[in-house]
Amino acid sequence: MISTFMGLETSKRGLQTSQSALYTTGHNVANANTPGYTRQRLNLNPTTAFPSPGLNSPSVPGQLGTGVEAGALQRIRDSFLDTQYRSQNSQVGYYASQSESLTKMEEIMNDPTESGLLSTMNSFWTSLEDLTKNTNSTSARSVVASSGEMVADTLNYYHTSLTNVQKDLHYQIGVKAQEVNTIISNIHDINKSISKIEPNGFIPNDLYDTRDLLVDELSNLVNVRVNSVIPIEYGIADRAVAEGLYNVDLILEDGTSVNLVSADNTGVQGMSEVQVGWDITTGVVSGVTVGGAPLSNYKFSGELAGLIESAGYMEGTAIKGVYPDMLQKLNNLTEAFVNEFNRIHRQGYALDDKGIALDNADPTKLQPSKPIDFFEIELGKDASAGIKVNTAILTNASLIAAAGQPGGSAGDNENAHKLSVIKLKDFKLYGVDKSTDIPTTLPVSLKGSFDGYYAGLIGNLGVDSASAQRNEKNAQALTDSVDQNRQSVSSVSLDEEMTDMIKYQQSYNASARMITVINELLDKLINNM
Amino acid sequence: MRVTQSMLSNNMLNNLSSGYERLAKLQEQVTSQTKFSKPSDDPAAAMMGMTYRTNLEKVAQYSSNISEATSWTESTDSALNQSISALQRIRELTVQASNGTYEANQRQSMAAEIGELKQHIVDIGDTQLGGQYIFNGFQTNTRPSDSITDEATGKDLTYASGQIKMEVFDGVKITVNTSGAVFEKALNENGSIQKLYTALNNPNTAESEINGFLKEIDATINEFIDTQARVGAKQNRINLMADRISEQEVIAKKVLSNNEDVDMEKVLINFTTQESVHNAALSVGAKIIKPSLLDFL
Repeated sequence: MISTFMGLETSKRGLQTSQSALYTTGHNVANANTPGYTRQRLNLNPTTAFPSPGLNSPSVPGQLGTGVEAGALQRIRDSFLDTQYRSQNSQVGYYASQSESLTKMEEIMNDPTESGLLSTMNSFWTSLEDLTKNTNSTSARSVVASSGEMVADTLNYYHTSLTNVQKDLHYQIGVKAQEVNTIISNIHDINKSISKIEPNGFIPNDLYDTRDLLVDELSNLVNVRVNSVIPIEYGIADRAVAEGLYNVDLILEDGTSVNLVSADNTGVQGMSEVQVGWDITTGVVSGVTVGGAPLSNYKFSGELAGLIESAGYMEGTAIKGVYPDMLQKLNNLTEAFVNEFNRIHRQGYALDDKGIALDNADPTKLQPSKPIDFFEIELGKDASAGIKVNTAILTNASLIAAAGQPGGSAGDNENAHKLSVIKLKDFKLYGVDKSTDIPTTLPVSLKGSFDGYYAGLIGNLGVDSASAQRNEKNAQALTDSVDQNRQSVSSVSLDEEMTDMIKYQQSYNASARMITVINELLDKLINNM
Repeated sequence: MRVTQSMLSNNMLNNLSSGYERLAKLQEQVTSQTKFSKPSDDPAAAMMGMTYRTNLEKVAQYSSNISEATSWTESTDSALNQSISALQRIRELTVQASNGTYEANQRQSMAAEIGELKQHIVDIGDTQLGGQYIFNGFQTNTRPSDSITDEATGKDLTYASGQIKMEVFDGVKITVNTSGAVFEKALNENGSIQKLYTALNNPNTAESEINGFLKEIDATINEFIDTQARVGAKQNRINLMADRISEQEVIAKKVLSNNEDVDMEKVLINFTTQESVHNAALSVGAKIIKPSLLDFL
């Protein structure tokens, strides 16, 4: 026998289910522009047919359907695309921070322009050439002194600005490490919440979304890998739909991994904070620890690694990194140049310097009476930070040793010539007077002439910066395309939702109509018989 | 592929911003007139540009050195030329004086003129160029005639030595000054002119003796002419260098310009193309974003 009111029950379920589906549609539409939102779908299942087989089951022909019920409320998401997105996203973070710091460096170095070091150097060489034409002229001498000051100022400026950016980067590293820890602790917290909800058979879709968004953000900072685990004790949880807990690992370039957020099949475990250690003497990053255990290297990609590689880090006892490298090169260049310039300068005679005897045995052999340095490097400072023109020369430009002969005659420009050819001098010949002489100490890793070396420095900076920018663009394009695929799966389509809305509205209407029909049937049965 | 509204608007935003980026780049090229503003825009060209610019600076410097050298040789040449004229007048006077028909007082007036001419040549020896005494070697700030201890005879007149050199090309240095030795030899107390002057003032000097001075004066004139010829030769060399440098300057400028100056037509055409693409993207985007099924329900 079939119950009199069975049709009413079937239609009521239809009404309720359509209503749930409509509300889900409403939720989707409302969140159409929420970042990280994944569209949800109400899984509809037919309810168990009547009668179910059994000893005392009624003998009616066939099995009658009993309507519909709302199954799980599921997120439409492809976790494979998430993995792709996150590994690309860490590249975006890495190259974006690299290209930003390199672009800043390019802006500071400001070459090739009219105000860069090269053009300042050019005006310094020009002033020296002018001195050879007019050794007696006080103005030509003052111009040499002030052009020298300009060179020193430019180098000081480079050093100050580069170290300032470096300090900014250090600050950013601290902030980003903090951000990593905040995200880790948020993921950990969400894991805990999820572990309380899922065993009760609920699917916390919106918590999943928040957690995925956090992992996306984390993947921009460091390279991570996510495994989802479902604890054994879940029991009644809907294992097909429940996503479980996230176990998040930090991945180094060599494939080794360190755990950040821990969860396994017994439930939520702990989390490990990322700490950046600083070297006290040099001020650069000395190491990164995760949960107290030091990482073997800094190649964990993402913005954090990009920042550390830009600002500099200790590798053994050596300082590496983009900014320390450039500062070191500038210092080497400045030091070699200053030493060579001073060496030649000390050989010359200032204006009206009669010279003094070199030794008592031969009074005809003379040397400059008071050889002074043209440039000075302040003690305890980096060469490019401490370079300045000797104050004695700034106050009295006649001390510039333009003359090559004792007497320091007004027209003697021999030493000024020697000074001006340093411009084209190969570093190999620094510290020697003849090309056949063997220099005692070669300036560190310097090649070619001053101008050539510096142009090379800028060229390399340009190549590095261009390649960082290109890599950033490529990684961004790949991320965008993966994200496009992700959106294609997960984002809300208003057209689709509208169609669904109409679909469920109509099915609601139809179920309601069914109730009316059954009502009329019962009316006939009860009142008109 | 399933395409949603948010994908469309994200896409449109991305495309529009990359369109803006290209427009900004082109605009920067138009306003700066250079192909790149940062080394990373074109590392190779930036590096070459720095070398080319150094080259150009160098060539400009050489060309300025050359014009300075030219002023020196020209001043020297004109000073020597004037000296030779004065010397030739002295020679004429000597020829005249060697003629026996002149009285002692007439000879004295000739001697007076020679004295003036000698002073004139001494003055020429003090020629200055931009405040520098050009015949006084390295001692460009001291007047050579200050070394005279006896005005009347020109005793101890000395010209300092020293070769002032200027670089006119890589490693090529030209000595721009000329030694004052010719002046010293002609004008000091033992020089031909002083001896002639003393002889003419002495009424007892025989005509033949005065005639004998002609040879010495000729020798002095020859020395001056010889020096002038050498200055001329130097000037020729400098001119040759000047030609070469000016050619180099043109080439250096052209190379620099080829390397970094924008091709205006190209940039403007690119700009116009980019602009119309951008406009099209905007209008298509606006049309695509607007409608949804909602508009038709």
